[in-house]
Amino acid sequence: MNIIETKDLNLHYGEFQALKNINLDVSANEITALIGPSGCGKSTYLRTLNRMNDLVHGVKIDGSVRYRGEDIYAKDVDVTVLRKRIGMVFQKPNPFPMSIYDNVAYGPKLHQKMSRSAMNDLVEQSLRKAALWDEAKDRLKKSAMSLSGGQQQRLCIARALSVSPDVLLMDEPTSALDPASTAKIEELMGQLKQEYSVVIVTHNMQQAARISDRTAFFLTGDLVESGPTADVFSRPQDQRTENYITGRFG
Amino acid sequence: MRSHLDAELRETEEYLAQMADLVTGALAQAGEALLTTDLDLAQAVIGSDSRLDMMQREVEERCLSLLLLQQPVATDLRVVLSSLRISMTLERMGDLAAHLATVARSRFPAPAIPEAARGVVAGMIEAAVHVSEQVRELLRSRDLDLAAMIERDDDVLDNLRDELYQIVLDSTWAGSAQNTMDITLTGRYLERFGDHGVSISRRIEFLVTGDIYSGESSVTLAGDEVR
Repeated sequence: MNIIETKDLNLHYGEFQALKNINLDVSANEITALIGPSGCGKSTYLRTLNRMNDLVHGVKIDGSVRYRGEDIYAKDVDVTVLRKRIGMVFQKPNPFPMSIYDNVAYGPKLHQKMSRSAMNDLVEQSLRKAALWDEAKDRLKKSAMSLSGGQQQRLCIARALSVSPDVLLMDEPTSALDPASTAKIEELMGQLKQEYSVVIVTHNMQQAARISDRTAFFLTGDLVESGPTADVFSRPQDQRTENYITGRFG
Repeated sequence: MRSHLDAELRETEEYLAQMADLVTGALAQAGEALLTTDLDLAQAVIGSDSRLDMMQREVEERCLSLLLLQQPVATDLRVVLSSLRISMTLERMGDLAAHLATVARSRFPAPAIPEAARGVVAGMIEAAVHVSEQVRELLRSRDLDLAAMIERDDDVLDNLRDELYQIVLDSTWAGSAQNTMDITLTGRYLERFGDHGVSISRRIEFLVTGDIYSGESSVTLAGDEVR
């Protein structure tokens, strides 16, 4: 089942066209990896999926992005609710300067009133899902800044999960992490797809090959090719994909 | 990095082509030794088989190193995977040529193949050498039409093997038990040689298309059936 469907999507930053006629679907409970060289449009595409590009001055978008059949660019869409359903994890861990507990509780508090015990449960569940509970349970009131980089990134994932999203967008979530922390995040992503749909931008092609079910290759704003990851990495259909993944450019 | 990988892949492919040259020569010589009862030629074939074994190990080590250090994907990965398998197959083809030479040597100074079977055995040797030459060409050209032709030509060997077995199964067969064994083994070795040629042609198909042959159909690495 497709949870997100993109049709004929074009995006301009002023005169510059960053996305050209993109047609790409995101399947439910799968990890979709977006790969391509710097400036290819993969992060721009990711940000169109929860309207993060709305914040960019001079951006113009046409075509359609449908989330569970609904046009996310329709006039009556509440962007805050959309971003609750389609959460985002960024390249650099960006915990709020507050306690571990408050980082996770921050989002839910915005959206609904909850009892203390219900909030405690939600924080615990979110940290467990982000594979951080065992490391953080005895220091929940400590500053999030005291965590390591890898732990901070998992905290950001816990924060995204705390508002019960449906889709997680991840923009190079491990590029600032060491190999051990990267391995933990990758393992975590494998677990998360049981409940969520994940779209990840990555520069690391081995990572895309290891963790994703489907891979989409972007180049200069075009979606060159997408398909099952095993196919894209074993027998790409387009010579440009072959050249990129075999290191001939990029 | 990329130029190093390209150079390594080219060298590996060249190594396989050299192995195919040696196999073709070994089989032709083994066949001649068998039909002409040439002991020296038989010894030479048996002695040279160790070179193919060494080259096979060399290809294996190169491929292992490429997988470890370069983590190839797409066509590069298929070249490495195919090279591993093809080198093992060529090494087996070399073994079969050596087996034929052993049959020739074992009966010296008597001919291993009695007159009644010489025509069919000569036909099998000719067909097997032809397969080997095609394999050698295929490794350089990766021509899928040629790969398909090798599969078809293997039928010639299968039919000749049946014809050969029919000779020793016929009620008029008057050869010794040793003759029967030698003919049966010779037929088997040459028929298997052709099968290995077909195996290499399928590896080249995989290398070019990415489709893995599995019986009647092919599948991709993602598990989809493609024909």
